[in-house]
Amino acid sequence: MRTAVILGICVIVLATAAMAFAQPVPAEQLQVTEQAAPQQPWSQALEAIFFYVISAAVLLSALGICISRNIVRMAVYLFFTLGGVAALYFLLLANFIAVIQLIVYAGGTLILLIFGVMLTSKSPWARFDVKKKEMIAAGIVCAVFAAVLLAVITTATWPVQSQPEVHAVSVANFGMELLTTYLVPFEAVSVLLLAVMIGAAYLARQE
Amino acid sequence: MFDPEDFKYVKFLVEIGLTHYLVVATLLFSMGIFVMTTKRNAIGVLLGVEMVLNGAAINLVAFNRYHGLATVDGQVVTLFIIVLAAAEAALAVAICMNYYKNLSTIDVDRGDTLAG
Amino acid sequence: MHPYEIALIAGVAVPLLMFAVLALFGYRIGKPAAGWCAVAAVMASLALSIYVLVGWLGGTAADHFRLGQEAARYTWLTMSIGANHIPVQFGVKLDSLTVVMYFMVTLVSTCIFVFSVGYMSGHSDEVDGISKYHRFFAYLCLFEFSMLGLVISASLFFLFVFWELVGLCSYLLIGFYFDRKYASDAGIKAFVTNRVGDFGFLIGLMLVFTFLQTLDLDQAARTFAEQAHMKTGIFAPVVQIFGWHITGVTLATVMGIGLFCGAIGKSAQFPLHVWLPDAMAGPTPVSALIHAATMVAAGVYLVARIFRLLTPEAQMFVAVIGCITLTITALIAIVQTDIKKVLAYSTLSQLGYMIFGLGVGAWIAALFHLIVHAFFKAMLFLCSGQVIEGCHHEQDIRRMGGLHKKMPVTCWTFFVGVLAIAGFGIPALNFGLGGYFSKDEILAVAYERAYNWTYRFEEGAEHGAAGHHADAAQPQAKYMLAQHHAAEPDEDKILEEDAGYPGEGEIIGSEAAREARAAKQKIGRDTPVLPKWMFWLPIIIAYVTPFYMMRCWWLTFMGKPRDEEVHHHAHEMPLMWVPLVVLSIGTVFTSYFLFRPEIAEAGRQATNAAMVVAVDGGEHGELNMLSLTHEAAHNPHGALIYYVGFAWLIGMVFAWLIYRKGFILAERLRRIWPLNWAYVALEQKLFFDHVYNTVFVAGTQWVVAQAARLVDTYIIDGLANLLARITVGLANFSGWVLDAAGIDGIVNGLGETAEGLGDIVRRPQTGRIRNYLLFGTAGASLVLIAIVIVAVKIG
Repeated sequence: MRTAVILGICVIVLATAAMAFAQPVPAEQLQVTEQAAPQQPWSQALEAIFFYVISAAVLLSALGICISRNIVRMAVYLFFTLGGVAALYFLLLANFIAVIQLIVYAGGTLILLIFGVMLTSKSPWARFDVKKKEMIAAGIVCAVFAAVLLAVITTATWPVQSQPEVHAVSVANFGMELLTTYLVPFEAVSVLLLAVMIGAAYLARQE
Repeated sequence: MFDPEDFKYVKFLVEIGLTHYLVVATLLFSMGIFVMTTKRNAIGVLLGVEMVLNGAAINLVAFNRYHGLATVDGQVVTLFIIVLAAAEAALAVAICMNYYKNLSTIDVDRGDTLAG
Repeated sequence: MHPYEIALIAGVAVPLLMFAVLALFGYRIGKPAAGWCAVAAVMASLALSIYVLVGWLGGTAADHFRLGQEAARYTWLTMSIGANHIPVQFGVKLDSLTVVMYFMVTLVSTCIFVFSVGYMSGHSDEVDGISKYHRFFAYLCLFEFSMLGLVISASLFFLFVFWELVGLCSYLLIGFYFDRKYASDAGIKAFVTNRVGDFGFLIGLMLVFTFLQTLDLDQAARTFAEQAHMKTGIFAPVVQIFGWHITGVTLATVMGIGLFCGAIGKSAQFPLHVWLPDAMAGPTPVSALIHAATMVAAGVYLVARIFRLLTPEAQMFVAVIGCITLTITALIAIVQTDIKKVLAYSTLSQLGYMIFGLGVGAWIAALFHLIVHAFFKAMLFLCSGQVIEGCHHEQDIRRMGGLHKKMPVTCWTFFVGVLAIAGFGIPALNFGLGGYFSKDEILAVAYERAYNWTYRFEEGAEHGAAGHHADAAQPQAKYMLAQHHAAEPDEDKILEEDAGYPGEGEIIGSEAAREARAAKQKIGRDTPVLPKWMFWLPIIIAYVTPFYMMRCWWLTFMGKPRDEEVHHHAHEMPLMWVPLVVLSIGTVFTSYFLFRPEIAEAGRQATNAAMVVAVDGGEHGELNMLSLTHEAAHNPHGALIYYVGFAWLIGMVFAWLIYRKGFILAERLRRIWPLNWAYVALEQKLFFDHVYNTVFVAGTQWVVAQAARLVDTYIIDGLANLLARITVGLANFSGWVLDAAGIDGIVNGLGETAEGLGDIVRRPQTGRIRNYLLFGTAGASLVLIAIVIVAVKIG
């Protein structure tokens, strides 16, 4: 377990670092490729390596969450998962979202959850084991669900655009979009956040 | 000497596309559900919810990426998801605390007052 | 249709009409009137029969033959065997035998009907307070109708129908006092015993129908003769053992024996003789009419009618049965003390003589004996009825004696009957009564068959008797000769070629003589020699018969009264002794060959040459069909004078010696060995009833009991249980299914269904959010799968 955690951390760090290194490159290069020849093989291979490593980290840590019985460990695994997802966002050229993911999820939500753990548990190592039968049932259902989805995904021909634009969305653009096109949802979410904040405070208050 | 057909799977593995991300998202989503259904700890269930949300978010971002980056629709919605997830987490933790306060446990199975 | 036929049919119809009248209105007609109505009916029949008889006696044999051939036949229905359509015809069998029998039946009936009126006036006729008087005469009329119908039937089918009808009447009249156990038992016994015989009759009838393709007596005889000639049909041997045919056992023999079985039942021959003594439980007139004179003689009549359908083997069977019957029943008669039982056993014995006579070929003698016997036996029974009536229903001769002073007419008419049955006669003077001619003639034939057969054959061959036929040259004689030829069962080919096969009417002169000679030669070969014992037993019984009759008469009328009370009250009724006188006169006249020529004439037509041995009684006869030794042909007593000439005297004297002083000597003799054993055996009727009761009655009862038990246990109980179970099941169904499950069930079921559904629905409602989620996921998976499948199907 410990080894897995260390391995996951390493993977995430490496991946993130790689992203950081790789980040400046695509804008021009991809621009080039867009205009001229297809993507260069090495860039493509690099992307593939990154993808697989990060995906492995995400899925392995997710698997860790699944099989772990300890809530704290689960929280730790979730951290890696969320981090991995953030890395995937980087890979998907959604830098801003990736950053937000890291900040809000890994930095905020997860901490919140861990606080929740600490506040609600008599012992942080408290275990609530479920029956094996339930595990199996849940496993089967989820496997079927995943299998069906995977079958659909892999066999479907997605209307992928022939020449995808590969430049990353700049935060400026994102901000513009957010405050123009998506202004109303944005405001609604803001209000929602406020309401949640108040509600959470209300709920969590001491009598 | 190279038949493209022979390298179809290699090509598929090498050329990372929408499908790959969708596969990861699906697996993450499924595992999130699994976690939600097999954890009796309320916080554990919350973890599963986060996983599911992340799986869905990956979808959105991936589609946004491979359907062209002319718009940022997917990313905006992902942002909203993240926001809502945070809000949900806050609220859920508050609820969990209340739950714990009432039942002296965080076991979700104990909250079966609605059981038939 | 000749007036004779119309008269005969009318004579049959009148009693039927009267039966209907009496059955329907008899109760209103009243007590004596109903009886006189019946008498009137039977007298009408008698008048018609006299008309026919007088006319008949006026005609020649040729006329009779022509009338018989021309008699009308009415097709009743047509039955089919394969492609053959066989008409079942009704018609009058018009020949001398019919006319004579018809006259005999009507005359005897008339006497007995008159007697019955007197008899019934002195008897209780009420059962449960309801008068059965009219019913008695209705039955008698029905019997009269049936018996006359039987006599005139030309078809075996209708003969059988009337045969069964007389059986029914017999049953009804035996059991007339059905409130008395023994009477109803006797009726049942008679009926059941007759059924056994009739079963055989029916089998024979079916064989006739199947193989001879006709039921008409004449037609059947012709076809039979043809088949015998060609050795086809029923003449093929039926019994084969290891490929060997048993000689003579053919379907023809079976058929003959089957038909004879009917006679065994009806004429109460061994082994079915047991019913007749019991039948004496009926009123005495019934015993006289049905169980002495007419119905039991119907068996003999039947055998006479089917005589041409009997093979030599079947005839031998008939003779054996007759011989056994006449022997054992005569012996049993010796020890009987009931006056009616004595007469019953003597009837059996005489019937045995008749059957025996037919069996040995003495057709004419047997029928002659039948007519004579009918008269004297009816008379004897009426005398016994008179005695019983006079002695106030006392039937036991041990309590009688000395009645001749009280009832002289009865006494002496009875004595005439005794003489007749005993065969009273004086050989040298050729003077005698009844049995002297008829019975002794049978014995003479038996003698010829047993001792003189081969000799006779040779004699016959040399003798010119055949010329007698040729000289007669009557169409009937020609017919007879043709029949002779055709009827030979085992025609010798060489002989046939030698003789040729002339058509009817071609027989003239020496050719006819040659024919007749050949036929006689054939007869000699075909007809087996009679075993010696079958001659000697009837001879011995000829001595026994006078003995037991004399004993009966003496003990009843002579000697000293053994029971003063009975003797004191004894009286005689005029109405009842008139018929006695009439019948005794009839006895005398019939004994003197009143109808003998007619019977002989009928015999010529009714018998086949293969078997006929017509022994003529003295110079009264007009035909020696097959000449016996010259002496025997003209006077059987000439041949048998040393055997039975004075049997009647010896027997009667012997009886007189023993019973002169009542039973004293007899009682003494009874204790001497071996008479004591014989007495016990005879007293118990040779144990026939015991054996039958044990084997057949008890056996049947056992079988029936077992069957009943099994049926009871398994079928009735099973049904009952089944019904019970069905009821219980229905009740349960009603209670549990309909009520509990149905009504309650609907009510409860709605609740329970709701509850169950709720329970089913409740199960997933664990209240656990995790499980809900899982279900949701599973549902989503299913929906997804469905969508994928649909998508794949569509596109």
